[in-house]
Amino acid sequence: MRSFGGDSHAVGPTALVLATAPADDGGPAGALPWEDTTVLRRLLLQLEDLEIARVTVITRPQWERLLEPSIAGLGPAVRVHASPSVSEDLRTVAEIARAGAGRLVVIHGELVTHREALAGLLVAPRIVTGVLARQGGVPPYMAPRTRSTRGRVMSASSPYHAIGRPNTSLLGALKVGERDRAELIETAERLASLTEPPLPTGWEEELERKVSRWRTSLAEEAAGPEALDAGQAAEPAPTRAAEVGHPPPADDPDDPASVVLSDEDEAQVALRAAILREDVVSLLLVGLVRADVHVANSFLRALFWSRPLSRAKAREAAEQIEGYDEDRVLLDSAVKANDGFFTTFFVSPYSRYIARWAARRGLTPNQVTTVSMAIGVLAAAAFATGSRPGLVAGAVLLQVAFTTDCVDGQLARYTRTFSKLGAWLDSIFDRSKEYVVYAGLAIGASRGFGEDVWVLAVAAMTLQTARHMADFSFGTTQHQAIAAQWRPPVDEPGDGVALKRSATAVLPTSPPGVDGDAGAAGMAPTGPSPSPLRYAEPVDDVPAQPAPPLARRLVSGVARGAIAVSRALDRRRWTQWLKKILVFPIGERFAVISLAAALTTPRTTFIIVLAWGAVAMLYTFVARAIRSLSR
Amino acid sequence: MSTVAARTRATSGPPSRLGDFRDDGPLARMVGRASGAVPIPPAVLMLLSALPLIAVLAVDGDNRPALGAAVAWAVIAGGLASGRPDSGRFAWTGPTLLRPLEYGTLLAFAVIAGPQAVPFCFALVAALAFHHYDTVYRLRHQGVAPPRWLRLAGGGWDGRMVFGYVLLLIGAVGTGFLVAAIALAAVYVAESTVSWSRFSQPRRPAQYDDEEDEDD
Repeated sequence: MRSFGGDSHAVGPTALVLATAPADDGGPAGALPWEDTTVLRRLLLQLEDLEIARVTVITRPQWERLLEPSIAGLGPAVRVHASPSVSEDLRTVAEIARAGAGRLVVIHGELVTHREALAGLLVAPRIVTGVLARQGGVPPYMAPRTRSTRGRVMSASSPYHAIGRPNTSLLGALKVGERDRAELIETAERLASLTEPPLPTGWEEELERKVSRWRTSLAEEAAGPEALDAGQAAEPAPTRAAEVGHPPPADDPDDPASVVLSDEDEAQVALRAAILREDVVSLLLVGLVRADVHVANSFLRALFWSRPLSRAKAREAAEQIEGYDEDRVLLDSAVKANDGFFTTFFVSPYSRYIARWAARRGLTPNQVTTVSMAIGVLAAAAFATGSRPGLVAGAVLLQVAFTTDCVDGQLARYTRTFSKLGAWLDSIFDRSKEYVVYAGLAIGASRGFGEDVWVLAVAAMTLQTARHMADFSFGTTQHQAIAAQWRPPVDEPGDGVALKRSATAVLPTSPPGVDGDAGAAGMAPTGPSPSPLRYAEPVDDVPAQPAPPLARRLVSGVARGAIAVSRALDRRRWTQWLKKILVFPIGERFAVISLAAALTTPRTTFIIVLAWGAVAMLYTFVARAIRSLSR
Repeated sequence: MSTVAARTRATSGPPSRLGDFRDDGPLARMVGRASGAVPIPPAVLMLLSALPLIAVLAVDGDNRPALGAAVAWAVIAGGLASGRPDSGRFAWTGPTLLRPLEYGTLLAFAVIAGPQAVPFCFALVAALAFHHYDTVYRLRHQGVAPPRWLRLAGGGWDGRMVFGYVLLLIGAVGTGFLVAAIALAAVYVAESTVSWSRFSQPRRPAQYDDEEDEDD
């Protein structure tokens, strides 16, 4: 641990808890009762438990006293800071970031979630800067939408920022690592001056657009089952309507201002708008993402999350969180999503229990990794005997080694003990195990079968290495493409992608003059609109240049077609699995090696591994070539 | 664009991961300096580099001069590609094709030399594979590639192909491969171990951890 001069207080994690959102009773939502304490105090105790001791609770001046019961007895490291406005909140963020070192957490004071959900973001060292997030939307409107690619937040919405093609949501918690502190300070200061009235061009309009979308969808809900189909009516908040920045299709010809809502719904809309205005976390996220900071998602998994804004909702949350088997959820989510077929169906169902057993015995992931490697060497030695019993024993040992190998990752995720060295060791040992087994099989072939299969062994190793190198290299170029994506400056309400939708008249965000349909949809924003020119920035895959030559268009047309077919295959579960099996992932390879070695000869084993591997290589190579063409 | 953001872009943008993956030796680097004069995408150069070798091996692997010329051509064409590892939309095929080019050539030399040399070839390729995976995984988890001296010490794919050919000419493929395997494995594993004992914090943002080694 590094030290920074003599001020020991400035080192270590700092949290900024925003108790600025109003509840329906007019007080701060953080002061809502939770069992025999408050929602805010529950969160502060969770932070303390996660060893985030230095906490500044930001609230509005008139609420300062109301928060006293929530922080009573928590010690001098927890203090309340009264700030009159969002702009001042942001300035406070910058000040605190400048004064200290280490990671800094910005979180809503009324968040109700499991300790492990917070720990996954706040404590896990593998995320330097990140947000608590979930896939999809969170009804009704309680979490701003974000768009993520490969776990990285590419764009975010805020009260004043629109988003196109959202696929994830921000759950009100942001962690900024030491590395990105300078960017946080700069971003917070910039936003502090931008949020001071008058707001930049288009900001107020964006907020109005969000509010009018809520009004429209609340009106649709109120219209009852005859307006929606029966299934949706049962669910009070259809997801499509709940997506901030992703409105329901504007099929309603009425002006949203003329939509009539019940008094209760009007109050709802007013409260939501008020809360959205206070959303400093989403503003900071937009600022960081647009300043090119690498913000990772820490997913909620199947844990509980809620942001209650009334006594009733707080009570409801308390009841719901009671019903969770936290350990069960954690264990289930320790299994890697997106694993191969064999691993998912034949190993993970039981390996998670071995992981839990190992966790209770206090074993570390690295110990398990090492044991797995040792068993792999034993398997190779058994194969090297060249006798039938030896081959069968080797096959069994290889499966044991593979299971153990799955356990280490699950153990790391379950106990949150990730290390860079551990990840490296795991990967290197995976490869080593496989190639040691190849050597064992080749030795066994000459000893037991009088066959020289070394050429096949070298060929199999070469094929797998080339295969992996293709994965690494292609992945790298994709990462580079993602990192190079254009991001608009933070005073710009659109994100470049949001506008693309408007060009097809789905979104009412298009400035008049860009798209005549916007007016026809009756959703054209009132008041001054940003100039169309400011929006005319490069957008993803929209060709910015004049039309390319025919041959080029044909090639990319065919490529797009092939990608569409591939996506269509992903829509059915069994075709999706078929694709995964075809690429011959490690679980399938080890299963084939075990089966073939136990039942046939080492030569046959190598031939199967080579043939399947060659098909997989060809398939992935062609698939990637097509994707490269479509770029 | 703010100054901080501009700075981040300049420092956090990796110089060239694909260049690190390639494992070019001094020979290839030398040729690579002339790459500006040859406006052919690296992917095409890589394909061109392998074709004569495949042809010679398919027709008459015992024709030593022809084999030598094919190896020299592979080093020149592949070396030219080393100058611009990131250019073209098929840039990712560069490191991908280098592995079978090098390993395959070494295997061919071993086969020509006789069956007793092939197990030693396995050992050599295993040592090289360790290094090539190590490069990728260390970039991913430490944020830095192995040092320059290690690349020079290993000779690069180009150096090793020439080395293999020389061994073939003097009739010492088996022993030569065994000695090279032991020496390279010792250096590669030792250097990697030392790097981990010195490692504390990643210098570049890690790629997302749940990223698959093997995806579609």
